[in-house]
Amino acid sequence: MACINPVPQLYRSVIEDVIEGVRDLFAEEGIEDQVLKDLKQLWETKVLQSKATEDFFRNSVHSPLFTLQFPHGLQQTLQSSTASLVIPAGRTLPTFTTTELGTSNSSANFNFPGYPIPVPAGVTLQTASGHLYKVNLPIVVTQTPGRTNILQHPIQQVFQQLGQAPVIQTSVPRLNPCFLQAATAKSQRMETVLQQPTVLYPGMIDQKHLEHATGDILVPPGNEHKITSEALLSQPEGPQYVSFPGVVFPSQVSQTNSTIEPMLSASASMIQNLHGRPLSTDSQVILHQHRSDVLKNRSFGCDSVKQSRNTEEASTLPVSEKNSNSQRDLNIQVADEDDDVNEIIQIDGTGDTSYNDEIGSAKDIDENEFLGTVDSGVLKVLEEEADSISNEDSTVNCSDNEDPQVDIVEEDPLNSGDDVSEQDVPDLFDTDNVIVCQYDKIHRSKNKWKFYLKDGIMCFGGRDYVFAKAIGDAEW
Amino acid sequence: MDADSDVALDILITNVVCVFRTRCHLNLRKIALEGANVIYKRDVGKVLMKLRKPRITATIWSSGKIICTGATSEEEAKFGARRLARCLQKLGFQVIFTDYKVVNVLAVCNMPFEIRLPEFTKNNRPHASYEPELHPAVCYRIKSLRATLQIFSTGSITVTGPNVKAVATAVEQIYPFVFESRKEIL
Repeated sequence: MACINPVPQLYRSVIEDVIEGVRDLFAEEGIEDQVLKDLKQLWETKVLQSKATEDFFRNSVHSPLFTLQFPHGLQQTLQSSTASLVIPAGRTLPTFTTTELGTSNSSANFNFPGYPIPVPAGVTLQTASGHLYKVNLPIVVTQTPGRTNILQHPIQQVFQQLGQAPVIQTSVPRLNPCFLQAATAKSQRMETVLQQPTVLYPGMIDQKHLEHATGDILVPPGNEHKITSEALLSQPEGPQYVSFPGVVFPSQVSQTNSTIEPMLSASASMIQNLHGRPLSTDSQVILHQHRSDVLKNRSFGCDSVKQSRNTEEASTLPVSEKNSNSQRDLNIQVADEDDDVNEIIQIDGTGDTSYNDEIGSAKDIDENEFLGTVDSGVLKVLEEEADSISNEDSTVNCSDNEDPQVDIVEEDPLNSGDDVSEQDVPDLFDTDNVIVCQYDKIHRSKNKWKFYLKDGIMCFGGRDYVFAKAIGDAEW
Repeated sequence: MDADSDVALDILITNVVCVFRTRCHLNLRKIALEGANVIYKRDVGKVLMKLRKPRITATIWSSGKIICTGATSEEEAKFGARRLARCLQKLGFQVIFTDYKVVNVLAVCNMPFEIRLPEFTKNNRPHASYEPELHPAVCYRIKSLRATLQIFSTGSITVTGPNVKAVATAVEQIYPFVFESRKEIL
């Protein structure tokens, strides 16, 4: 299983190389450097969002795969162990410090490192997709590559578990964990939350800040939500902290649209803040870009659950019921099963891809190996011609008119080819799965084809894969 | 006895080759780029286009001459050829289906007995030629039909001729001679 995805790195390196390469040219032309920078930004953005690398990229860079909610009790142990946990994480890891983790109920978001992480018991994990897992035993968590799916998880169960766990911060005066729920409830509407990434960022959050945060939270949402949040906020109690905030924020907050999830997460994190914890979580708070209502639902679910528990402590929350109602429904939706989170997904080996080239038909190709990166400048179309492929469009269509039947010499008006013709299964399906590469050898026997390819990029299912060598078999 | 004819013999046509002209120049590159199921042999200047429905392979030259192989019957060959021409028409060429001609038919036939080839050759001197060191079959040519038969000692006979009729006739003709030299199983 390839844990490390070379594609985004490759693309990034390509982008950088190109930009560097043309820097001089740009300078010569008298174009500002800013233009170049903008170009690079634009390019990177497009690549990131193009879905070709989206999943990989996001996974590896921006969105931590999961969030750890450290129970209070574990704080001490965590402090020692967090180092080990923290260290391996991905790029964004450095921001992750033990101090941040040190706060009780800190929730840490971090990218999944390339290797399994040992997780101490009692920790609650939330994956980027929103699943919450309460770890009662020390476990080792490995990454399923490239999956930032929205995986539904029976939240209620999780929360119930969580509820039982003494995940409570006592060191820090918490406001209401309920806020989380409320906030999440509201978060649907909260677009402005997105705009408050700074608020979410860790270490800086103090009470005051929280207030601001809450204020912010309050501002955008709808009335009801507002009320709820206010109600929640008004309760300076430390209910059981439900390690909810595991919402994940992509770092591209500014770029993201106000999707529900980001809002949810934002609100969630804010709520955390409300609790007064210098939420290290916030440090890694990254808005998840997923649009689906799943998160929303999830959050609602969480909310309701939490709220239900919190009601004991917290004052009545008018919204809670509403939330719970909505949540019930949502939970139903949420109850989709995920399989991925703990499953290792294999994208190489026997995974087949199909590609469509001029030959037209879809073929099965077995990737032999992915050997690293590809030189960007050396990619050619499979059937390379000296000329460019500009002929393609040309006049393919025009021939449909019936041709001059009677010919000088004789015979058989082909327009009676109306009967004759029509490729039965025209071109199968013109897939978008494409491979652009060089070939070593293409061999055919009767209708059995063998392909020996090299140095290529495959676009399969919208995602890009890169290979140095590929061997394929196909039947026509 | 030996004139039992080939009533029960089933002759399997394995290949029908035909040609036709499109009466227009064909841009092979264009066909190669835009056509479906094509193989471009740039070195020899041909494009192979394979059809699935009548399973045929057509060799296309830029002059507009097309050879169509792989059909299992004459009708199928014609059908395939027309379909092919239609394909080319769709690609934008002003194709006219002319000069269609079946040039070769290949059939296989199995005798229910084995054959003694040296004896057969001796009996059929002018027409039969047998060179066991070169090829294990006797090559029997029927000039009138312009058909060639390859007779194997197992009793299997391969016939090639200009058309199906000629092939059938050739088998009928050869039967008595082959029957003479059969290997009797005691």
